[in-house]
Amino acid sequence: MSIVKSVTCPVCGCLCDDIELTIADGAVAQVKNGCAMCEAKFFSHNNKHRITTPLMRKDGELVPVSYDEAIQKSAEILANATYPILYGWSSTDCEAQRIGVALAEEVGGVLDNTAVVCHGPSILGVQDVGIPTCTLGQVRHRADLIIYWGCDPWSAHPRHLERYTSFTDGRFEGSEWKSYINKVKAAAGKKKLRSLERKGILKERHPHIAPSVNDNKPPEILNKKGRKLIVVDVRKSMTAEVADYFLQVEYGKDYELIQAVRALVKDQELDVEKVAGVPVEYLQQLVDAMTSCEFGVIFFGMGLTQSAGKFRNIDVAISLVRDLNMRTKFAIMPMRGHFNVTGANTVFTWQSGYPYGIDFSMGYPRYNPGETTVVDILMREESDAGLVIASDPVSNFPRRAVEHLVKNPLIVIDPHMNATSLVGDIVFPASIVGIEKAGTAYRMDHVPLPLKKVVDPPEGLLSDEEILSRILNEVRNIKLKTLEVA
Amino acid sequence: MIVLTPLKKYQYPIIAECITPDVFQGKTKEELSNLPVWEGNKKRKLGELFKIDVTSVKSPDITIIGDVIKVKRIGWGMTQGEIVVNGNVGMHLGKKMSGGKIVVNGNTEGWTGSQMKGGLIEIKGNAGDYLGSPYRGSTVGMRNGKIIVHGNVGSDAAIYMKSGVIKIHGNADSFMGFRMTGGVIHIEKNAGTRLGACMTGGKIVVSGILKNIMPTFALELIKGKVKIETGEKAVGPFYVFLGDLAETGKGKLFVSKEKNPQMSQYERFL
Repeated sequence: MSIVKSVTCPVCGCLCDDIELTIADGAVAQVKNGCAMCEAKFFSHNNKHRITTPLMRKDGELVPVSYDEAIQKSAEILANATYPILYGWSSTDCEAQRIGVALAEEVGGVLDNTAVVCHGPSILGVQDVGIPTCTLGQVRHRADLIIYWGCDPWSAHPRHLERYTSFTDGRFEGSEWKSYINKVKAAAGKKKLRSLERKGILKERHPHIAPSVNDNKPPEILNKKGRKLIVVDVRKSMTAEVADYFLQVEYGKDYELIQAVRALVKDQELDVEKVAGVPVEYLQQLVDAMTSCEFGVIFFGMGLTQSAGKFRNIDVAISLVRDLNMRTKFAIMPMRGHFNVTGANTVFTWQSGYPYGIDFSMGYPRYNPGETTVVDILMREESDAGLVIASDPVSNFPRRAVEHLVKNPLIVIDPHMNATSLVGDIVFPASIVGIEKAGTAYRMDHVPLPLKKVVDPPEGLLSDEEILSRILNEVRNIKLKTLEVA
Repeated sequence: MIVLTPLKKYQYPIIAECITPDVFQGKTKEELSNLPVWEGNKKRKLGELFKIDVTSVKSPDITIIGDVIKVKRIGWGMTQGEIVVNGNVGMHLGKKMSGGKIVVNGNTEGWTGSQMKGGLIEIKGNAGDYLGSPYRGSTVGMRNGKIIVHGNVGSDAAIYMKSGVIKIHGNADSFMGFRMTGGVIHIEKNAGTRLGACMTGGKIVVSGILKNIMPTFALELIKGKVKIETGEKAVGPFYVFLGDLAETGKGKLFVSKEKNPQMSQYERFL
């Protein structure tokens, strides 16, 4: 039994690097410091859904084959394709992604990562107006106003609050966890009383009226010193429960709200009383809190990037931060989902100049989301082969896109059996990056962190990097042969 | 006149920036069929994908008969001449064109007339998204020229527009005229949401219904009619809004008073 300290967790964009693992008999026996998702991931290397041998579809059935045969067949499919797509990349390491770019260029395909259905709009927004951002360390030590807009870190990035924002003790700003614990306890007590009232055990004292947005006046606390937490969302999420102020915005009206806030920051007067269901006087108080803080930061998630307006929402949110920087110090950061989606964007950018949706079909990289992004290509039924690595598009792409993806030869590289591996034509098992293979990943604030190898992979299993480089070599051999013949 | 007819139903995207009167001018049929085009990642010749006929008729210079929805970049950078397409056209039609005329008797895909500097595009059907808008990350929109759409228009049309005229006989989708600094847009039917967001100049005229106006526009006055281009006026009366206040902009939004009674509440600010 041995203990490995300072392990980086390969689950979400937080990339917590303080995980302590106990290893017994070549397997993870205990996980310390991690959240529930972290534990599940570290235990998953022993999962019964792991694939242990390459599979190939013969007569409609997936049958075990050797790595050599599967690699040869995959290389043939990719080398002969006219418009192949290479998708996934966000849950593997930068080393594999780098080979992915070379492979996409060699086969003249379209290289895309999961950002296309996630934070791709953020990137488009950034390309339009730039981004004033910072690292999470700065947020931890200095931020006294934290705004979560359209995201719920309590559920999706469970240790974000505890490691980087409100619940952490920074050098210049203290933790607010005590006041939050009291608030949560009080809320839990209230809920209990209400439940007893409903069941008739307690006599109903005050008739319960659901609070409307109009009653949701910004509290005095917004003008006090110390860390403050504001959540803007369409519904009261778990994070909103612990926030100092929760601003409920009408569904799909974020753009109007931010634009109105921008006008108020610039001391303009609005001709309306309410914006997105929020009275303008409340917005004025919000603006006062924003301009009076010493260092504020906005974290945004899918609520902004994938609701009506998409990348224009990000465009306007960044513009708001730019305007606020005229009055005080402000920064903005996307809450990236997969642990290395930032890495995928970074690697693709340093290799090709573009972060996602890169079309190599003309021999040089072209980029035009909407035209060269995988979902759009599949919806227009243009591709004729696919390679999916470390992702499960079959379970989350639009149905028509999946239908076309499945119609053509599909190569899947994944440690586990998922919906995409089930319909794949060639399935490669891979070792799990960050548990069975060391590598590099980028945190959501673009800080690269090393991933550790803590246990050995099942015997004979190759890593993503090795599988891809062998396919790439084989593709190069095939291309060379065709050249010689010509 | 050169007549192009697709030889098959295309599956892969085809990039054919050679289909312009400037390139076709003075070329024999053989030279034309040897022009390079891309089909997916394979390099092909124009003659492999299209049937090419040369007729003695002078105008239009190029006629395409059939559905070319997968063919991109037709009329790329053209400076003169005329292209007529009898069918639907793919993306980037008339991109960077500075003169001449394109008539489409069908629908177009995205980025039609992107970064246009002059000339005329007339679309008899519907236009896709990003009509007259630049590519990703660019702030150089439509510089001059004219686009007429007889049907409806998709989202994000005329963003970063600086000059020129866009006339839409149908409806428009959201974010039309985003960050525009000049030029004129006339929507004869209904406009989408976030019309003219972040605009700092130019004018947008809506003769139909504008359901939601951005909160950052302020009513300035009511006007009887408004000039679209030389010799053409839209008859109102119109509410004239100024914006976008978030950008301290001076763009003008003309909204039909008759069709938008819900905006009468703004009149108290006059």
